[in-house]
Amino acid sequence: MVETLAADVHPPYLYPDYKSTRLRAPAQPLVRVAPNPLEAGGPAFPRHFVKDSEADLTTWGKSAPLGEKMVLVGRVLDEDSRPVRRSLIEVWQANASGKYPHPVDDHDAPLDLNFLGKGQLLTDAEGRYRIVTVKPGAYPWQNHAFGWRPAHIHLSLFGNAYAQRLITQMFFPGDPLLAIDPIFNSVPEAGRKLLIADLDLEHGVEGVALGYRFDIVLRGPRATPLGV
Amino acid sequence: MAKPTPSQTVGPFFARELLWSDGGTVLFPGRGDRVTLTGRVFDGAGAPIFDALFETWQADAAGKFPSGGDGARPYGYGRVSTDTDGRYAIETVMPGSFRGPGGETYAPQISVTIFARGLLKALQTRVFLAPLDAIKDDPLARAIGDPDRLRTLIATRDPGDPKMYRWDVRLRGAGEAVFIEY
Repeated sequence: MVETLAADVHPPYLYPDYKSTRLRAPAQPLVRVAPNPLEAGGPAFPRHFVKDSEADLTTWGKSAPLGEKMVLVGRVLDEDSRPVRRSLIEVWQANASGKYPHPVDDHDAPLDLNFLGKGQLLTDAEGRYRIVTVKPGAYPWQNHAFGWRPAHIHLSLFGNAYAQRLITQMFFPGDPLLAIDPIFNSVPEAGRKLLIADLDLEHGVEGVALGYRFDIVLRGPRATPLGV
Repeated sequence: MAKPTPSQTVGPFFARELLWSDGGTVLFPGRGDRVTLTGRVFDGAGAPIFDALFETWQADAAGKFPSGGDGARPYGYGRVSTDTDGRYAIETVMPGSFRGPGGETYAPQISVTIFARGLLKALQTRVFLAPLDAIKDDPLARAIGDPDRLRTLIATRDPGDPKMYRWDVRLRGAGEAVFIEY
């Protein structure tokens, strides 16, 4: 099997500064295997699994959500820079105040009744995606004293093969909280910039929404015999 | 080659965002013996993991790979979260064995991906719905070798309820499950 570059960019399981890894990271080395032919394929999402409106997180409520409106565009590619077509992306995030509409989120910040903070879409034939949302707020967490998570958008990708499955987080350029975030800094230095979106004004909406670009690379086909 | 986008944790806040209605019932177009795979997920201190996202992907009863879906969601894929006791349950068809490109035989199994707070990368593995002596030629069973390690991936058929397969998953420490990387 061809060695992947994954070791250069993926975080380790055990990263003690992120306390929740200490009891959840496996202690044994992983067993390296080729994807079986089932895992070289993946689930097919029916066309109406996704509604067009689900790519715009700002139209869910009766009126516009609070916050800085933004457009996020990008492409999903494999390691050979080939587009990952018609694949499911799910996004979720805190609202502009850094609050999730979730019972276990105890951050003392307001909910926004016009913002649910979840969306999904299928990439197009070129692997492109576009979502409209508001910039999420930073929020405090209990991992360490004065800890605050930098603003981030969660992304879940199915790719075209089960073995490409990825969940990650996208961060914003120039955020001073990145320096103190153990989740972001768990990624080896060579990989960190791959998690930061670029400002992309032309993909915004003039006078309305700021544009950002975030391209995503999934494993395969060379790294694994996927043939996808 | 482009570098892959690094993985990050799913975090604690995903239940309202990622779970599917009835995601614990795996759909297939054809028939098959319906079975339930259930168990609990534990951390290295033996505490139940109550906030894991548990996903499954499998062949159908004849060992064929799913394609398409029923209009609501894809065939062959299960998606649930663990509950406050760390328990998950996937109701599905008993998967058939299948062959790989080199003619190798894969024993009846379900591919499993676990995401959770504290997991910076997904944990992936395969759980066997067959006893130890029936899986010894499976490629993963051969790669693992040690029967004690291999037993961590064998779901036990409930003698009182043969449709029930029980599989507990320990992420770290004594009885730690074998996890795989591609």
